[in-house]
Amino acid sequence: MAVLGIPILENLYPSTMDMWPLEAKEFNRNWQFYENLKQGKLTTTKCKDCGLVSWPPRVICPECYSENLEYTDLPNKGKIIVFSEEVRGVPLGFESPLIHAVIDLGVAPARRVLSRIVNCPAGVLKRGDEVQLAVFPVPALPIDKGKLGTVMSERVFFAFEPVKK
Amino acid sequence: MARHAVILAGGQCKWGVREAHLVDLFQEAAKACFDDIPTLKPKDVDGLIVASSYAGRCSFQVNTAPVIAERVGVKPTSICTRVDVLCAGGSTGIILAKGLVESGVADIVMVSGGEKLYTPQKWEVFYSELASVDHDWDGTNGMGLPPPFFSLTAQEHMMHYGSTKEQLAAVSVANYNYAATNPVAQMQKTLTLEEAMNAPSVVPPLTLYDCCPITDGAAVCIITTDEIAKKFSDRPLVYIRGTAQVCLNSVSANFPGAHLADWKHTKMAGEKAYKAAKVSPGDIKVAQTHDCFSISEVIEVEEFGFCKKGEGGEFCGSKQIELGGKVPVNTDGGLLACGHPFGATGIRQGIEMLKQLQGRARHQVNGADIGLTHNLSGANAEHTVLIYGREPVK
Repeated sequence: MAVLGIPILENLYPSTMDMWPLEAKEFNRNWQFYENLKQGKLTTTKCKDCGLVSWPPRVICPECYSENLEYTDLPNKGKIIVFSEEVRGVPLGFESPLIHAVIDLGVAPARRVLSRIVNCPAGVLKRGDEVQLAVFPVPALPIDKGKLGTVMSERVFFAFEPVKK
Repeated sequence: MARHAVILAGGQCKWGVREAHLVDLFQEAAKACFDDIPTLKPKDVDGLIVASSYAGRCSFQVNTAPVIAERVGVKPTSICTRVDVLCAGGSTGIILAKGLVESGVADIVMVSGGEKLYTPQKWEVFYSELASVDHDWDGTNGMGLPPPFFSLTAQEHMMHYGSTKEQLAAVSVANYNYAATNPVAQMQKTLTLEEAMNAPSVVPPLTLYDCCPITDGAAVCIITTDEIAKKFSDRPLVYIRGTAQVCLNSVSANFPGAHLADWKHTKMAGEKAYKAAKVSPGDIKVAQTHDCFSISEVIEVEEFGFCKKGEGGEFCGSKQIELGGKVPVNTDGGLLACGHPFGATGIRQGIEMLKQLQGRARHQVNGADIGLTHNLSGANAEHTVLIYGREPVK
Protein backbone atom coordinates (compact mmCIF):
# COMPACT_ATOMS: atom_id res chain seq x y z
CA MET A 1 0.00 0.00 0.00
CA ALA A 2 1.54 3.26 -1.12
CA VAL A 3 1.69 6.38 1.00
CA LEU A 4 0.43 9.30 -1.11
CA GLY A 5 3.32 11.57 -2.08
CA ILE A 6 5.99 9.37 -0.41
CA PRO A 7 6.51 6.32 -2.63
CA ILE A 8 9.52 5.14 -0.60
CA LEU A 9 7.14 4.35 2.29
CA GLU A 10 5.33 1.66 0.28
CA ASN A 11 4.54 -1.24 2.63
CA LEU A 12 6.50 0.36 5.48
CA TYR A 13 5.00 0.91 8.93
CA PRO A 14 5.73 4.32 10.55
CA SER A 15 5.17 3.93 14.31
CA THR A 16 5.29 7.73 14.60
CA MET A 17 1.88 7.79 12.89
CA ASP A 18 0.35 4.95 14.95
CA MET A 19 -2.50 6.10 17.20
CA TRP A 20 -2.43 2.88 19.25
CA PRO A 21 0.16 1.97 21.91
CA LEU A 22 3.19 -0.14 21.06
CA GLU A 23 1.84 -2.89 23.29
CA ALA A 24 4.28 -5.70 22.46
CA LYS A 25 6.78 -6.96 25.06
CA GLU A 26 9.65 -5.84 22.80
CA PHE A 27 8.54 -2.20 23.11
CA ASN A 28 6.61 -1.88 26.36
CA ARG A 29 7.41 -3.01 29.91
CA ASN A 30 3.69 -2.68 30.74
CA TRP A 31 2.79 -5.28 28.10
CA GLN A 32 1.05 -7.35 30.79
CA PHE A 33 -1.71 -4.72 31.03
CA TYR A 34 -2.68 -5.44 27.42
CA GLU A 35 -2.39 -9.22 27.89
CA ASN A 36 -4.78 -8.89 30.84
CA LEU A 37 -7.14 -6.85 28.65
CA LYS A 38 -7.16 -9.70 26.13
CA GLN A 39 -8.49 -11.87 29.01
CA GLY A 40 -11.26 -9.32 29.62
CA LYS A 41 -9.62 -7.88 32.73
CA LEU A 42 -8.95 -4.21 33.46
CA THR A 43 -5.86 -4.09 35.65
CA THR A 44 -3.22 -1.74 36.92
CA THR A 45 -0.05 -1.93 38.99
CA LYS A 46 0.16 -2.09 42.80
CA CYS A 47 3.35 -1.57 44.80
CA LYS A 48 4.14 -4.65 46.90
CA ASP A 49 6.27 -2.52 49.26
CA CYS A 50 4.13 0.53 50.09
CA GLY A 51 0.77 -0.69 48.77
CA LEU A 52 0.07 2.22 46.42
CA VAL A 53 -2.19 1.39 43.48
CA SER A 54 -1.33 3.61 40.48
CA TRP A 55 -3.26 4.51 37.36
CA PRO A 56 -2.12 4.06 34.66
CA PRO A 57 0.24 1.09 35.28
CA ARG A 58 3.96 1.80 35.57
CA VAL A 59 7.33 0.13 36.10
CA ILE A 60 8.32 1.96 39.30
CA CYS A 61 6.16 3.06 42.22
CA PRO A 62 5.88 6.87 42.01
CA GLU A 63 5.58 7.03 45.82
CA CYS A 64 8.46 4.86 47.13
CA TYR A 65 10.33 4.13 43.89
CA SER A 66 10.14 0.40 44.43
CA GLU A 67 10.32 -1.79 41.34
CA ASN A 68 8.47 -4.53 43.22
CA LEU A 69 5.07 -4.14 41.53
CA GLU A 70 2.24 -6.56 40.75
CA TYR A 71 -0.89 -6.33 38.61
CA THR A 72 -4.17 -5.93 40.45
CA ASP A 73 -7.74 -6.03 39.09
CA LEU A 74 -9.84 -2.89 38.76
CA PRO A 75 -13.66 -3.15 38.67
CA ASN A 76 -15.12 -3.83 35.22
CA LYS A 77 -18.23 -1.78 35.94
CA GLY A 78 -18.79 1.82 36.92
CA LYS A 79 -21.17 4.77 36.81
CA ILE A 80 -21.10 7.80 34.54
CA ILE A 81 -20.45 11.07 36.38
CA VAL A 82 -20.54 13.34 33.32
CA PHE A 83 -20.25 12.73 29.57
CA SER A 84 -19.86 14.56 26.27
CA GLU A 85 -21.09 13.65 22.80
CA GLU A 86 -19.35 14.71 19.59
CA VAL A 87 -21.49 13.95 16.56
CA ARG A 88 -19.94 16.07 13.77
CA GLY A 89 -16.23 16.70 13.23
CA VAL A 90 -15.12 13.45 14.88
CA PRO A 91 -11.33 13.10 14.38
CA LEU A 92 -9.73 10.50 12.12
CA GLY A 93 -9.55 7.12 13.83
CA PHE A 94 -12.88 7.42 15.66
CA GLU A 95 -16.52 7.00 14.65
CA SER A 96 -19.47 9.26 15.31
CA PRO A 97 -20.77 9.63 17.92
CA LEU A 98 -17.51 10.04 19.83
CA ILE A 99 -18.64 9.85 23.45
CA HIS A 100 -16.36 10.63 26.39
CA ALA A 101 -17.22 10.10 30.03
CA VAL A 102 -15.81 10.53 33.50
CA ILE A 103 -16.53 7.15 35.06
CA ASP A 104 -16.54 6.22 38.74
CA LEU A 105 -15.22 2.65 39.06
CA GLY A 106 -15.80 2.83 42.80
CA VAL A 107 -12.21 2.43 44.05
CA ALA A 108 -9.11 4.63 44.18
CA PRO A 109 -7.35 5.55 41.93
CA ALA A 110 -10.27 4.95 39.55
CA ARG A 111 -12.98 7.18 41.03
CA ARG A 112 -12.85 9.51 38.01
CA VAL A 113 -11.45 7.61 35.03
CA LEU A 114 -11.80 9.49 31.77
CA SER A 115 -12.64 7.04 29.00
CA ARG A 116 -14.73 6.51 25.91
CA ILE A 117 -18.21 5.03 25.60
CA VAL A 118 -18.73 2.66 22.65
CA ASN A 119 -21.66 0.61 21.34
CA CYS A 120 -23.99 3.47 22.20
CA PRO A 121 -25.93 5.84 19.90
CA ALA A 122 -26.02 9.59 20.54
CA GLY A 123 -28.74 11.00 22.75
CA VAL A 124 -29.53 8.01 24.96
CA LEU A 125 -26.92 8.18 27.74
CA LYS A 126 -27.73 9.76 31.12
CA ARG A 127 -25.59 10.79 34.07
CA GLY A 128 -25.56 7.95 36.59
CA ASP A 129 -25.92 5.23 33.96
CA GLU A 130 -24.01 2.01 34.62
CA VAL A 131 -21.28 1.09 32.12
CA GLN A 132 -19.01 -1.93 31.72
CA LEU A 133 -15.60 -2.64 30.23
CA ALA A 134 -15.54 -3.18 26.45
CA VAL A 135 -12.38 -4.68 24.94
CA PHE A 136 -11.93 -4.50 21.17
CA PRO A 137 -9.20 -5.41 18.67
CA VAL A 138 -7.04 -2.72 17.10
CA PRO A 139 -4.63 -3.21 14.16
CA ALA A 140 -1.75 -5.59 14.86
CA LEU A 141 1.74 -4.14 15.35
CA PRO A 142 4.18 -5.10 12.57
CA ILE A 143 7.57 -5.81 14.19
CA ASP A 144 10.67 -6.17 12.00
CA LYS A 145 12.40 -9.37 13.20
CA GLY A 146 15.31 -9.26 10.75
CA LYS A 147 15.84 -12.61 9.03
CA LEU A 148 12.53 -13.87 10.43
CA GLY A 149 10.70 -11.15 8.55
CA THR A 150 7.86 -9.05 9.94
CA VAL A 151 5.85 -10.56 12.78
CA MET A 152 2.34 -9.23 13.44
CA SER A 153 1.73 -8.70 17.16
CA GLU A 154 -1.98 -8.70 18.03
CA ARG A 155 -3.32 -5.68 19.90
CA VAL A 156 -6.49 -4.74 21.80
CA PHE A 157 -7.69 -1.60 23.52
CA PHE A 158 -10.57 -0.78 25.83
CA ALA A 159 -13.46 1.57 26.41
CA PHE A 160 -16.77 1.23 28.25
CA GLU A 161 -20.28 0.44 27.00
CA PRO A 162 -23.74 0.77 28.53
CA VAL A 163 -24.87 -2.17 30.68
CA LYS A 164 -27.94 -3.60 28.95
CA LYS A 165 -30.96 -3.32 31.19
CA MET B 1 23.97 44.88 42.36
CA ALA B 2 21.03 42.57 41.74
CA ARG B 3 20.11 41.97 38.12
CA HIS B 4 16.38 42.29 37.38
CA ALA B 5 14.87 40.75 34.24
CA VAL B 6 12.75 42.92 31.95
CA ILE B 7 10.92 42.36 28.68
CA LEU B 8 12.50 44.91 26.36
CA ALA B 9 10.63 44.53 23.07
CA GLY B 10 8.50 42.14 21.07
CA GLY B 11 6.68 41.46 17.84
CA GLN B 12 4.68 38.83 16.06
CA CYS B 13 3.88 37.96 12.47
CA LYS B 14 0.34 37.81 11.12
CA TRP B 15 -1.36 34.80 12.69
CA GLY B 16 -3.87 32.57 10.92
CA VAL B 17 -3.77 30.15 8.01
CA ARG B 18 -0.40 31.14 6.56
CA GLU B 19 1.07 30.35 3.15
CA ALA B 20 4.53 30.01 4.67
CA HIS B 21 7.05 27.58 6.17
CA LEU B 22 7.69 27.38 9.91
CA VAL B 23 11.06 29.12 9.60
CA ASP B 24 9.50 31.88 7.46
CA LEU B 25 7.15 32.69 10.34
CA PHE B 26 10.04 32.92 12.83
CA GLN B 27 11.86 35.33 10.49
CA GLU B 28 8.78 37.57 10.13
CA ALA B 29 8.30 37.66 13.91
CA ALA B 30 11.99 38.45 14.53
CA LYS B 31 11.72 41.37 12.11
CA ALA B 32 8.60 42.63 13.91
CA CYS B 33 10.50 42.40 17.20
CA PHE B 34 13.52 44.38 15.98
CA ASP B 35 11.14 46.91 14.37
CA ASP B 36 9.82 47.47 17.90
CA ILE B 37 13.33 48.45 19.09
CA PRO B 38 15.42 49.83 16.22
CA THR B 39 18.42 50.49 18.51
CA LEU B 40 18.85 46.76 19.16
CA LYS B 41 20.52 44.63 16.46
CA PRO B 42 20.66 40.84 16.02
CA LYS B 43 24.39 40.95 16.88
CA ASP B 44 23.50 42.26 20.35
CA VAL B 45 21.60 39.05 21.18
CA ASP B 46 23.70 36.44 23.01
CA GLY B 47 21.03 33.85 23.78
CA LEU B 48 18.17 32.16 21.93
CA ILE B 49 15.31 30.08 23.25
CA VAL B 50 12.90 28.60 20.70
CA ALA B 51 9.48 27.36 21.80
CA SER B 52 7.86 25.04 19.31
CA SER B 53 6.03 21.82 20.02
CA TYR B 54 4.87 20.71 16.59
CA ALA B 55 8.05 21.40 14.60
CA GLY B 56 8.85 17.69 14.87
CA ARG B 57 5.48 16.42 13.69
CA CYS B 58 4.26 19.08 11.26
CA SER B 59 7.55 20.40 9.82
CA PHE B 60 9.74 17.24 10.18
CA GLN B 61 12.27 19.34 12.08
CA VAL B 62 13.77 18.62 15.48
CA ASN B 63 16.77 20.45 17.01
CA THR B 64 14.99 23.60 15.91
CA ALA B 65 17.08 26.20 17.75
CA PRO B 66 20.16 26.21 15.47
CA VAL B 67 17.89 26.37 12.41
CA ILE B 68 16.04 29.41 13.78
CA ALA B 69 19.29 31.06 14.97
CA GLU B 70 20.71 30.89 11.47
CA ARG B 71 17.55 32.12 9.76
CA VAL B 72 17.01 35.11 12.07
CA GLY B 73 20.69 36.07 12.00
CA VAL B 74 21.59 35.70 15.67
CA LYS B 75 24.78 33.99 16.85
CA PRO B 76 24.11 32.80 20.41
CA THR B 77 27.04 32.35 22.80
CA SER B 78 25.27 31.82 26.13
CA ILE B 79 22.28 29.59 25.33
CA CYS B 80 20.71 28.18 22.17
CA THR B 81 17.94 25.69 22.84
CA ARG B 82 14.35 24.68 22.27
CA VAL B 83 11.59 24.17 24.84
CA ASP B 84 8.44 22.08 24.41
CA VAL B 85 5.65 22.61 26.91
CA LEU B 86 2.99 22.83 24.22
CA CYS B 87 0.75 25.84 24.98
CA ALA B 88 3.15 27.27 27.61
CA GLY B 89 6.34 27.05 25.54
CA GLY B 90 6.64 30.81 25.04
CA SER B 91 5.99 31.60 28.69
CA THR B 92 8.47 28.92 29.69
CA GLY B 93 11.08 30.52 27.43
CA ILE B 94 10.52 33.84 29.22
CA ILE B 95 10.84 32.17 32.64
CA LEU B 96 14.09 30.48 31.61
CA ALA B 97 15.45 33.69 30.06
CA LYS B 98 14.68 35.56 33.30
CA GLY B 99 16.75 33.05 35.25
CA LEU B 100 19.59 33.18 32.74
CA VAL B 101 19.87 36.98 32.63
CA GLU B 102 19.40 37.45 36.38
CA SER B 103 22.09 34.86 37.14
CA GLY B 104 24.49 36.44 34.66
CA VAL B 105 24.68 33.39 32.39
CA ALA B 106 23.20 35.49 29.58
CA ASP B 107 22.70 39.20 28.93
CA ILE B 108 20.24 39.57 26.05
CA VAL B 109 18.06 36.58 25.21
CA MET B 110 15.73 36.31 22.24
CA VAL B 111 12.71 34.21 23.20
CA SER B 112 10.91 33.04 20.09
CA GLY B 113 7.99 30.71 19.59
CA GLY B 114 6.04 29.44 16.65
CA GLU B 115 4.13 26.66 14.96
CA LYS B 116 3.17 25.79 11.39
CA LEU B 117 0.11 23.62 11.90
CA TYR B 118 -1.75 23.74 8.59
CA THR B 119 -0.18 20.95 6.51
CA PRO B 120 -0.86 20.17 2.83
CA GLN B 121 -3.39 17.52 3.87
CA LYS B 122 -6.00 18.79 6.32
CA TRP B 123 -6.27 15.54 8.30
CA GLU B 124 -2.68 15.54 9.49
CA VAL B 125 -2.71 18.25 12.16
CA PHE B 126 -5.91 16.89 13.69
CA TYR B 127 -4.42 13.40 13.77
CA SER B 128 -1.10 14.67 15.10
CA GLU B 129 -2.94 16.33 18.00
CA LEU B 130 -3.11 12.84 19.51
CA ALA B 131 0.45 13.68 20.60
CA SER B 132 -0.73 16.68 22.66
CA VAL B 133 -2.09 14.44 25.39
CA ASP B 134 -0.69 11.25 26.93
CA HIS B 135 -0.55 9.20 23.72
CA ASP B 136 -1.22 5.74 25.12
CA TRP B 137 -3.86 6.60 27.74
CA ASP B 138 -5.76 9.68 26.47
CA GLY B 139 -4.92 9.84 22.76
CA THR B 140 -6.29 6.30 22.39
CA ASN B 141 -9.62 7.59 23.69
CA GLY B 142 -9.80 10.34 21.10
CA MET B 143 -8.80 13.08 23.54
CA GLY B 144 -6.22 14.61 21.20
CA LEU B 145 -8.55 17.37 20.08
CA PRO B 146 -9.57 19.19 23.23
CA PRO B 147 -13.28 20.17 22.77
CA PRO B 148 -14.63 16.99 24.44
CA PHE B 149 -12.43 17.51 27.51
CA PHE B 150 -13.52 21.14 27.85
CA SER B 151 -17.16 20.18 27.23
CA LEU B 152 -16.90 17.94 30.31
CA THR B 153 -15.22 20.82 32.17
CA ALA B 154 -17.97 23.27 31.20
CA GLN B 155 -20.69 20.82 32.19
CA GLU B 156 -19.13 20.25 35.61
CA HIS B 157 -18.81 24.02 36.12
CA MET B 158 -22.49 24.40 35.25
CA MET B 159 -23.39 21.45 37.54
CA HIS B 160 -21.44 22.67 40.56
CA TYR B 161 -21.62 26.46 40.20
CA GLY B 162 -24.61 27.20 37.98
CA SER B 163 -22.72 29.02 35.24
CA THR B 164 -24.61 29.46 31.98
CA LYS B 165 -24.03 29.25 28.24
CA GLU B 166 -24.65 33.03 28.04
CA GLN B 167 -21.78 33.62 30.44
CA LEU B 168 -19.46 31.49 28.28
CA ALA B 169 -20.60 33.43 25.21
CA ALA B 170 -19.79 36.71 26.99
CA VAL B 171 -16.12 35.65 27.10
CA SER B 172 -16.08 35.00 23.35
CA VAL B 173 -17.80 38.33 22.65
CA ALA B 174 -15.33 40.28 24.81
CA ASN B 175 -12.25 38.62 23.32
CA TYR B 176 -13.40 38.83 19.68
CA ASN B 177 -14.21 42.50 20.13
CA TYR B 178 -10.77 43.15 21.65
CA ALA B 179 -9.20 41.53 18.53
CA ALA B 180 -11.41 43.21 15.93
CA THR B 181 -8.80 45.93 15.29
CA ASN B 182 -5.70 43.78 16.00
CA PRO B 183 -3.90 43.58 12.63
CA VAL B 184 -2.01 40.38 13.52
CA ALA B 185 -4.98 38.46 15.00
CA GLN B 186 -6.43 35.45 13.19
CA MET B 187 -10.03 36.60 13.76
CA GLN B 188 -10.52 40.30 13.10
CA LYS B 189 -14.25 40.78 13.45
CA THR B 190 -16.70 41.92 16.06
CA LEU B 191 -19.02 39.37 17.62
CA THR B 192 -22.44 39.85 19.19
CA LEU B 193 -23.92 37.79 22.02
CA GLU B 194 -26.64 36.68 19.63
CA GLU B 195 -24.11 35.43 17.06
CA ALA B 196 -22.19 33.60 19.77
CA MET B 197 -25.34 32.00 21.18
CA ASN B 198 -26.55 30.85 17.74
CA ALA B 199 -23.19 29.50 16.49
CA PRO B 200 -22.82 25.93 15.17
CA SER B 201 -22.33 23.21 17.78
CA VAL B 202 -18.88 21.69 18.35
CA VAL B 203 -19.31 19.45 21.41
CA PRO B 204 -22.31 20.57 23.49
CA PRO B 205 -22.44 22.88 25.33
CA LEU B 206 -19.46 24.30 23.39
CA THR B 207 -20.19 26.04 20.10
CA LEU B 208 -17.91 27.58 17.48
CA TYR B 209 -16.87 30.76 19.29
CA ASP B 210 -16.22 28.93 22.56
CA CYS B 211 -13.16 27.27 20.97
CA CYS B 212 -9.88 28.81 19.83
CA PRO B 213 -8.90 28.07 16.23
CA ILE B 214 -5.87 26.18 14.90
CA THR B 215 -3.23 28.75 13.99
CA ASP B 216 0.03 29.21 12.13
CA GLY B 217 2.16 31.92 13.65
CA ALA B 218 5.23 33.05 15.51
CA ALA B 219 6.18 35.67 18.10
CA VAL B 220 9.50 36.97 19.38
CA CYS B 221 10.48 39.00 22.44
CA ILE B 222 13.72 40.15 24.04
CA ILE B 223 14.49 39.47 27.70
CA THR B 224 17.41 41.29 29.33
CA THR B 225 18.27 43.12 32.56
CA ASP B 226 17.02 46.57 33.54
CA GLU B 227 20.51 48.09 33.36
CA ILE B 228 21.14 46.72 29.86
CA ALA B 229 17.64 47.71 28.73
CA LYS B 230 18.31 51.37 29.62
CA LYS B 231 21.11 51.42 27.01
CA PHE B 232 18.65 50.57 24.26
CA SER B 233 15.34 52.16 25.22
CA ASP B 234 13.83 55.20 26.96
CA ARG B 235 10.49 53.46 27.41
CA PRO B 236 9.30 52.51 30.90
CA LEU B 237 10.87 49.25 32.07
CA VAL B 238 8.57 46.23 32.35
CA TYR B 239 9.87 43.75 34.91
CA ILE B 240 9.13 40.04 35.18
CA ARG B 241 8.43 40.07 38.90
CA GLY B 242 7.50 36.49 39.66
CA THR B 243 6.72 33.20 37.94
CA ALA B 244 5.44 29.71 38.68
CA GLN B 245 4.87 26.51 36.73
CA VAL B 246 2.82 23.73 38.29
CA CYS B 247 2.29 20.18 37.03
CA LEU B 248 0.33 17.75 39.21
CA ASN B 249 -0.96 15.32 36.59
CA SER B 250 -0.64 14.24 32.99
CA VAL B 251 -3.28 11.59 32.33
CA SER B 252 -6.73 13.19 32.47
CA ALA B 253 -7.97 10.50 34.85
CA ASN B 254 -5.54 11.79 37.50
CA PHE B 255 -6.89 15.36 37.42
CA PRO B 256 -5.98 16.98 40.75
CA GLY B 257 -9.26 18.82 41.47
CA ALA B 258 -12.41 17.40 43.06
CA HIS B 259 -13.97 17.68 39.57
CA LEU B 260 -12.92 19.08 36.18
CA ALA B 261 -14.02 22.64 37.08
CA ASP B 262 -11.87 22.70 40.24
CA TRP B 263 -8.43 23.80 38.99
CA LYS B 264 -6.25 23.32 42.06
CA HIS B 265 -3.03 23.43 40.01
CA THR B 266 -4.04 26.78 38.48
CA LYS B 267 -4.72 28.23 41.91
CA MET B 268 -1.41 26.89 43.20
CA ALA B 269 0.51 28.43 40.27
CA GLY B 270 -1.20 31.78 40.82
CA GLU B 271 -0.50 31.83 44.55
CA LYS B 272 3.15 30.93 44.06
CA ALA B 273 3.63 33.60 41.38
CA TYR B 274 1.87 36.22 43.53
CA LYS B 275 4.17 35.36 46.44
CA ALA B 276 7.29 35.56 44.28
CA ALA B 277 6.12 38.88 42.83
CA LYS B 278 5.06 40.21 46.27
CA VAL B 279 1.61 41.15 44.98
CA SER B 280 -1.94 39.97 45.65
CA PRO B 281 -4.88 39.34 43.27
CA GLY B 282 -6.21 42.83 44.02
CA ASP B 283 -3.05 44.37 42.54
CA ILE B 284 -3.63 42.86 39.07
CA LYS B 285 -4.82 45.61 36.71
CA VAL B 286 -4.80 43.56 33.50
CA ALA B 287 -4.48 39.85 32.69
CA GLN B 288 -3.91 37.61 29.69
CA THR B 289 -5.23 34.19 30.75
CA HIS B 290 -5.35 31.02 28.68
CA ASP B 291 -8.74 31.22 26.93
CA CYS B 292 -8.29 28.09 24.80
CA PHE B 293 -12.01 27.75 25.50
CA SER B 294 -14.43 30.30 26.92
CA ILE B 295 -14.94 28.08 29.98
CA SER B 296 -11.20 28.23 30.68
CA GLU B 297 -11.28 32.00 31.19
CA VAL B 298 -14.35 31.65 33.45
CA ILE B 299 -12.47 29.23 35.72
CA GLU B 300 -9.15 31.10 35.54
CA VAL B 301 -10.58 34.40 36.85
CA GLU B 302 -11.80 32.37 39.84
CA GLU B 303 -8.59 30.48 40.52
CA PHE B 304 -6.48 33.65 40.24
CA GLY B 305 -8.68 35.34 42.83
CA PHE B 306 -10.25 38.05 40.63
CA CYS B 307 -13.59 36.81 42.01
CA LYS B 308 -14.73 34.05 44.38
CA LYS B 309 -14.56 30.37 43.35
CA GLY B 310 -17.71 29.55 41.41
CA GLU B 311 -18.47 33.16 40.45
CA GLY B 312 -16.39 33.27 37.25
CA GLY B 313 -19.47 33.00 35.07
CA GLU B 314 -21.08 35.99 36.74
CA PHE B 315 -17.75 37.90 36.66
CA CYS B 316 -17.30 37.38 32.90
CA GLY B 317 -21.00 37.80 32.13
CA SER B 318 -21.14 41.19 33.87
CA LYS B 319 -18.37 42.78 31.77
CA GLN B 320 -15.74 42.66 34.54
CA ILE B 321 -13.25 41.32 31.91
CA GLU B 322 -13.85 44.28 29.58
CA LEU B 323 -12.24 47.74 29.63
CA GLY B 324 -13.61 49.55 32.69
CA GLY B 325 -14.29 46.21 34.43
CA LYS B 326 -12.54 44.93 37.54
CA VAL B 327 -9.74 43.11 35.61
CA PRO B 328 -9.71 43.49 31.82
CA VAL B 329 -8.67 40.09 30.45
CA ASN B 330 -7.16 39.17 27.07
CA THR B 331 -7.08 42.77 25.89
CA ASP B 332 -5.50 41.86 22.53
CA GLY B 333 -8.10 39.18 21.80
CA GLY B 334 -6.69 36.17 23.61
CA LEU B 335 -6.40 32.71 22.13
CA LEU B 336 -10.04 32.73 21.06
CA ALA B 337 -9.53 35.52 18.53
CA CYS B 338 -5.75 35.98 18.08
CA GLY B 339 -5.41 32.24 17.50
CA HIS B 340 -3.10 29.80 19.25
CA PRO B 341 0.19 28.72 17.64
CA PHE B 342 1.14 26.88 20.84
CA GLY B 343 4.76 27.92 21.45
CA ALA B 344 4.08 31.53 20.41
CA THR B 345 1.11 32.24 22.68
CA GLY B 346 3.00 33.02 25.90
CA ILE B 347 5.18 35.47 23.98
CA ARG B 348 2.08 37.13 22.47
CA GLN B 349 0.79 37.55 26.01
CA GLY B 350 4.15 38.98 27.15
CA ILE B 351 4.13 41.49 24.27
CA GLU B 352 0.60 42.64 25.15
CA MET B 353 1.68 43.00 28.79
CA LEU B 354 4.75 45.01 27.70
CA LYS B 355 2.48 47.38 25.77
CA GLN B 356 -0.09 47.63 28.56
CA LEU B 357 2.51 48.44 31.19
CA GLN B 358 4.20 50.96 28.88
CA GLY B 359 0.86 52.63 28.16
CA ARG B 360 0.87 51.87 24.43
CA ALA B 361 -1.68 49.04 24.10
CA ARG B 362 -4.51 49.17 21.55
CA HIS B 363 -7.06 48.70 24.32
CA GLN B 364 -5.14 50.49 27.06
CA VAL B 365 -6.09 49.78 30.68
CA ASN B 366 -5.74 53.03 32.60
CA GLY B 367 -3.06 52.90 35.27
CA ALA B 368 -1.88 49.40 34.36
CA ASP B 369 1.20 48.79 36.51
CA ILE B 370 0.92 45.09 37.45
CA GLY B 371 -0.30 42.34 35.12
CA LEU B 372 -0.63 38.57 34.98
CA THR B 373 -0.20 36.13 32.10
CA HIS B 374 -1.13 32.46 32.21
CA ASN B 375 -1.00 29.30 30.11
CA LEU B 376 -2.57 25.89 30.44
CA SER B 377 -0.86 22.98 28.67
CA GLY B 378 -2.19 19.68 27.36
CA ALA B 379 -5.34 18.10 28.83
CA ASN B 380 -5.19 20.63 31.66
CA ALA B 381 -1.90 19.05 32.73
CA GLU B 382 0.25 22.06 33.56
CA HIS B 383 -0.19 25.72 34.52
CA THR B 384 2.28 28.56 33.98
CA VAL B 385 1.92 32.05 35.48
CA LEU B 386 4.02 35.20 35.09
CA ILE B 387 3.53 38.49 36.92
CA TYR B 388 4.82 41.61 35.17
CA GLY B 389 5.25 45.01 36.80
CA ARG B 390 6.55 48.55 36.34
CA GLU B 391 8.86 48.12 39.35
CA PRO B 392 11.23 45.30 40.31
CA VAL B 393 10.54 43.15 43.37
CA LYS B 394 12.33 44.70 46.32
